[in-house]
Amino acid sequence: MTIDWSWISGHTDDLTTLTVSHLQAALTAVFFGLLISLPLAVVAHRVRFLRGFLLGASNVLFTIPSIAIFVLLLPISGLTRTTTVIGLTVYTLVVLLRNTVEGLDSVPAKTKEAAKAMGTRPLRTLLTVELPLALPVIMAGVRIATVMSISLVSVATYIGDGGLGQLFTDGFQRNYPTPVIVGVALTLLLAVVADALLVALQYVLTPWKRRRA
Amino acid sequence: MYELFSNLGSWLTSGTQWSGSDGIAHRLAEHLQYSLLATLIATAIGLPLGLLIGHTGRGAFLAINLASFGRALPTVGLVVLVFLASGLSMTPVYVSLVALAVPAIVTNTYAGMTAVDPDVKDAARGQGMRGHQVLLHVELPLALPLIMTGLRLALIQVVATATIAAYVSFGGLGRYVFDGLAQRDLVQVLGGAVLVAAVAVVLDLGLAGLQRFLFRHRTA
Amino acid sequence: MNRRTLLGGLFAAASVPALSSCASGITSLDSQGSTSGGSGSSKGGVTIGTANFTENQVLGYLYAAVLGAAGVKTTVRPNLGTREILIPALKGGDIDLLPEYQGALLHYLAPKATATEEGEMQNALALALPAGLQVLPYGMAEDSDAFAVTQETAKKYGLTSLADLKKQNGKLVIGAAPEVKKREVGVIGLKDVYGVEFKEFKSLDSSGPLVKGALKKGDVDVANLFTTDTDIVANDWVVLSDPKNLIPGQHVVPLIADRKADSTVRKALAGLGNVLTTEDLTELNRQVDKDKKDPEDVANAYAEQHGLTRRA
Repeated sequence: MTIDWSWISGHTDDLTTLTVSHLQAALTAVFFGLLISLPLAVVAHRVRFLRGFLLGASNVLFTIPSIAIFVLLLPISGLTRTTTVIGLTVYTLVVLLRNTVEGLDSVPAKTKEAAKAMGTRPLRTLLTVELPLALPVIMAGVRIATVMSISLVSVATYIGDGGLGQLFTDGFQRNYPTPVIVGVALTLLLAVVADALLVALQYVLTPWKRRRA
Repeated sequence: MYELFSNLGSWLTSGTQWSGSDGIAHRLAEHLQYSLLATLIATAIGLPLGLLIGHTGRGAFLAINLASFGRALPTVGLVVLVFLASGLSMTPVYVSLVALAVPAIVTNTYAGMTAVDPDVKDAARGQGMRGHQVLLHVELPLALPLIMTGLRLALIQVVATATIAAYVSFGGLGRYVFDGLAQRDLVQVLGGAVLVAAVAVVLDLGLAGLQRFLFRHRTA
Repeated sequence: MNRRTLLGGLFAAASVPALSSCASGITSLDSQGSTSGGSGSSKGGVTIGTANFTENQVLGYLYAAVLGAAGVKTTVRPNLGTREILIPALKGGDIDLLPEYQGALLHYLAPKATATEEGEMQNALALALPAGLQVLPYGMAEDSDAFAVTQETAKKYGLTSLADLKKQNGKLVIGAAPEVKKREVGVIGLKDVYGVEFKEFKSLDSSGPLVKGALKKGDVDVANLFTTDTDIVANDWVVLSDPKNLIPGQHVVPLIADRKADSTVRKALAGLGNVLTTEDLTELNRQVDKDKKDPEDVANAYAEQHGLTRRA
């Protein structure tokens, strides 16, 4: 199995397009995943009996093969990017929901009581006290969800999307390893870079952690 | 949507759907075989590795980073790559499933090992226990809950991903998903998906039961 | 219980973006005045969808090349899947144009269709197509389904035609793309027309690495391939003859949504159809599969060589 270097140099434009499209799908999914998880996590954190149900539900969703979710979405959203993003979003929930709930749980009760004693309203406490303190755990979830989504995007190649995943079907059909190797390498690279950027973002977002350290 | 689910009911309960080489019973058995064998191989690789790293404290940084790198490996790409390198066999499927499971097992085993109180280990050594005795009789039992978490996570992912075997012409419940996609037979796709999820949930509950049993045994 | 609620949640989550995408599909239909048979407009550009095998992508890029030369903006979406997936996508507006094959398309739309002659099939297609879709004139190039066996299998069982398969009922394994199991030009037709029953159907791919690999290895006895696949000749495989005309003529034919079918598009695609021969198409497939050239490059080079990119 040899790499055909000339193929790579002749396809830098295509590779760039696919990489951007790949990253866009993954990040959009994580964004929507957060948008859904944050309110659900607040509910799960406060309403005991819903907690097990919501976490259990996200766990069960995780057991459905991703390719099946994409196909089952076809009558609803067709062969579009929307299908890819919805499918990926479903998978981010398991990590994002659990980590956000755990993050909120980790906020000391005394801190919340102090906020209450100072007359801070519950919503304000949530936004200015609880969520910032939960941020490290939430960010850990965001990192896992991002890396996972980046690796999963390629499954959408079976419905004609899938960013770098298109290189896999192409290489498969033509018995041509080069695009496949390049696709795997770029996916890994994307995951590593995205993860590093998220670490940097977390560093910026949690200045109090730095001072303590 | 209602129609899809009522058709699913008849698909799942029809006798002909359960028998034969493309029947649910046979596909279920294949799926279990792929998933369990892959998880077993992954455990044989990941468990000793995690224990070793946790016990010696050496190579932890490398292992954890490799594991998170492994999580980013696109299974579709890996299957195709190994297929192109080794030809038409189950090898691409097993390689990919093992690659998927090993990181979860290594990281959780390692996490379990580091969570063991150093004082407990010191006490064990103080009583004259050797390195491997400390590992087997002290660290391993204490790390067991997290090790089991890793195994369960790995198994769930492997069961869901074993669907990919159908992409390279093999069986398992993924057959229904891929054939259903090609034929645009959504009932078949949904049937396959529901069965995969059911297998994952049942196996996970089984492992959870095993974990509870092992845990009780230890504290008794 | 858990499951139902949870799937409810899934679809609830799905419905927001889905609604917006449906809505845009409907507006685009309305604004382009999709009356059956009326002329559409390709001004907004044409999205060409292609199926999951090499040749269809070559054809898609050939369409793009000639349309581009005619001043139509195009987007090619490679590898979308099977006809079963593509036609609903065409109706739904995700794609506008699709390289199709006369007989296979007709049997997909009307499984019991009897037309076999090209002109008849074209008429039958016009009748069978759902509102909003139409076929343009068919081209010269043809790519049929073929059922092939290895030389050894042919000798061992004395196979030369599809009718011979009946003598081995319940003994042979057929390999084909999953959709062929449910297709008239496939397992259903082989049983209805020739009375053939296989021991097993193996879901593989469309004249791709799986089905050809399995035929070579002996995992399947009979393989469903395409006649434009150069591997048939290269491996000296035997294509079984079809005395009862189960397999209809498969001239390449553009299937297009009415909303995009204007005179510019018709003229450009007709120009291609009158130039591209079966031999040309076979050679282009070979360049992609064997020389590992891009379908897009191969298509553009062909269009240029044959004067198809000159503005009319």
